[in-house]
Amino acid sequence: MDSLDLLLGGFQQALTLENLFYAILGVFLGTAVGVLPGIGPAMTLALLLPITYSVGPDSALIMFAGIYYGGMYGGSTTSILLNTPGESSSVVTAIEGNKMAKKGRAAQALATAAIGSFVAGTIGTLLLVLFAPSVAGQVVKLGNPSNFALIVLAMFAVTAVLGTSRLRGFIALFLGLAIGLVGGQTGQARLTFGNPLLADGIDIVVVAVGIFAIGEALWVAAHLRRRPLDIIPVGQPWMSREDWGRSWKPWLRGTAYGFPFGALPAGGAEIPTFLSYVTERKLSKHPEEFGKGAIEGVAGPEAANNASAAGTLVPLLAIGLPTTATAAIMLLAIQSYGIETGPQLFDTEPDLVWALLASLFIGNTLLLLLNLPLAPLWAKLLQIPRPYLYAGILFFASLGAYSVSFQPFDLAILLVIGLLGLAMRRFGLPVLPLIIGVILGPKLEEQLTTSLQISSGDISTLWSEPVAVIVYAFIAVALVLIVVGGLRRPKPEAPVEEKEEVSA
Amino acid sequence: MSVVVMYSPDEFGRVALSYGATEAARRSEKLVVVNPTKGDSYVDTKFAREDELSSLRSTLERLDVESEILHDVVPDIAGAVLHAASSTGASLIVVGIRPRTPVGKLLLGSVAQRLILDAECPVLSVKPDGSEDQL
Amino acid sequence: MSTMEEKATREGMRTVDKAQYGLAAFLAIVGGYVVYDATTLSDGFADQPVQPYAFPYVVGGVLLVLAVMLAIATSRGDVPVAEEGEDVDLTQPSDWATVIKLALVFLANILLIDWLGWAITGALLFVGTAYVLGSRTIIRDVAVGVALSVGTWYGFYSGLGLAIPAGILDGVL
Repeated sequence: MDSLDLLLGGFQQALTLENLFYAILGVFLGTAVGVLPGIGPAMTLALLLPITYSVGPDSALIMFAGIYYGGMYGGSTTSILLNTPGESSSVVTAIEGNKMAKKGRAAQALATAAIGSFVAGTIGTLLLVLFAPSVAGQVVKLGNPSNFALIVLAMFAVTAVLGTSRLRGFIALFLGLAIGLVGGQTGQARLTFGNPLLADGIDIVVVAVGIFAIGEALWVAAHLRRRPLDIIPVGQPWMSREDWGRSWKPWLRGTAYGFPFGALPAGGAEIPTFLSYVTERKLSKHPEEFGKGAIEGVAGPEAANNASAAGTLVPLLAIGLPTTATAAIMLLAIQSYGIETGPQLFDTEPDLVWALLASLFIGNTLLLLLNLPLAPLWAKLLQIPRPYLYAGILFFASLGAYSVSFQPFDLAILLVIGLLGLAMRRFGLPVLPLIIGVILGPKLEEQLTTSLQISSGDISTLWSEPVAVIVYAFIAVALVLIVVGGLRRPKPEAPVEEKEEVSA
Repeated sequence: MSVVVMYSPDEFGRVALSYGATEAARRSEKLVVVNPTKGDSYVDTKFAREDELSSLRSTLERLDVESEILHDVVPDIAGAVLHAASSTGASLIVVGIRPRTPVGKLLLGSVAQRLILDAECPVLSVKPDGSEDQL
Repeated sequence: MSTMEEKATREGMRTVDKAQYGLAAFLAIVGGYVVYDATTLSDGFADQPVQPYAFPYVVGGVLLVLAVMLAIATSRGDVPVAEEGEDVDLTQPSDWATVIKLALVFLANILLIDWLGWAITGALLFVGTAYVLGSRTIIRDVAVGVALSVGTWYGFYSGLGLAIPAGILDGVL
């Protein structure tokens, strides 16, 4: 099989000493930030983006992928031990996981989370290897009008489907598009305020670091003082035979939920974990244990969130569309090497892609081997005072932005964007649409331009391709449904319900 | 009039509590147990957890002095103890001393040192000597 | 989950988050400026199908519309669900003073970095932000800060081949 050969080649590249080092580093960093509430893979990737200027693309991406998978794993540790999820995808794990811990079964909870994550990650990566090339093969045949339509769909999906307020989603998207406009890409300087330093546009790295790192740090700074959490001391994770027996099916079911959702635009990891929990509760032979520490309630959701991480890489690598904030930053990393992202990636950079896929398997295995024995150590991380953590974030954020071109001006932009990030958090503006707007806005314009150039200005070319027509029809139907649904009844208060469930 | 104890759920806090309880009984004063946190870290091992708090309460109930527990998030630990002392009219503050390496003495702040220097009443500094297990 | 929101939904009472008007005004200003900037652009090449001012007009225009929609929604009691985050405790009021102080420390770094160099200002940034956030162990903070800034300076130089400007310490490092 062609893919198998390429994958083996990828392993060769991934198993070099240098790349192995970056994989281990990534996995460690990822777990550490996953454990720490308030700091996540998205922020970490944003802070590390500047290294792409000096480290090779394969090493950087291998490290980033390690951080991505590691973050999903680390979040479960705090969910179980502290009843505070380290990542939003670990919220559901906290429900049963923390109850298990309170009953003295923390070791089993951690074990089922870790092993389930490994199983799901491996299966998910296998599916990724199987699907991504064929999807890419199909998408690459699409013409510019279809690409244009797909980008519109992605923007629409991320804005209108995610979050509790579509108005705010659109606001975020258009603010992102506005930021993307800055610069002289179209031959004339736009929105540069007459400042030559803005002629190249606002560096994507600065935007990412500003929104994710500075914005988050400032927001947390405004709410810093709070009661410390009760932590449950735990030894090393392990499971009994019965635990294994009860866990393996939820692992597989969780993977089945997680992977497709990860691959869908605006799918993410939260929904599949929730679905997995509900399914396990229905199918369980021990339903009375749910709410008091049922192991299936940890096994399924944890598998789901790792599988969804693998799933998000399908559209990322095959189409060039990011479906989560973390994926968006990985896209930025690839782009900052001057590599064109999109379906042609498999053809133009096969070594890079297959090395990345191979290192996902390696990273997954590393996560299990390294983190299972080290769980008590990760819990110790939580004793670091937050002033240090956030001072550190601001430090590395500044360093990163400064290292782009050693101009204090970039730091000023960083501060402004950071304040924007703070305002967005205060006003509940979702971050993902903004980043999508910044990344995909220029692409949107480019696809439109090319489409019209090829058709010599004939605008009907935009709906001349079948994929484009299908996409527009889908958007139109979705719009109608939204408007009708919005007029009939008020939006449900989803966030309030979720919070109450965790503390049940 | 009161005896203020700087408490933490380890042997240093418990020895301070043991000496503080003895003094409170002898002076017939109220025992004020202060266990604050700065709320800086996600996990603060010096801040009593729920189970530690309830065992502290049952310990205090067995004593025959009136007692009170202050268990809050404060911006400054030593300041919180000093404030408790001045607002309850303390006649004594009791604090357990933790061992410090030479580097530690230089780099880390010392709550005990600030209490000794800034308190208006006498400060009793104690080290674990077995009496904390007899509480 | 803010108690303000709960009250609004339970009692059917309308709470007007006035600060959102500020956001709406901001959106209007941004949208307006984008449109204005677009008017300063002249026509591009004759055969350029999408003129440079096309997208700005659209983006700016939509932002203005969104600003108006937000203002209307605000007056009808639309309250934002402030971002939860795993580390944010929204039951306590926001501490904007800390944010402003952090911004000032950041600004100091921006102003001083060319003159003093990252090796010094990085440490100052770290100590300053740690202090604003509540750390009172100044000596330890300075030690960590200096280790970080000098360490990253050398790390960037030897590991990544990037020479960060040394400012006033040029020749010393």
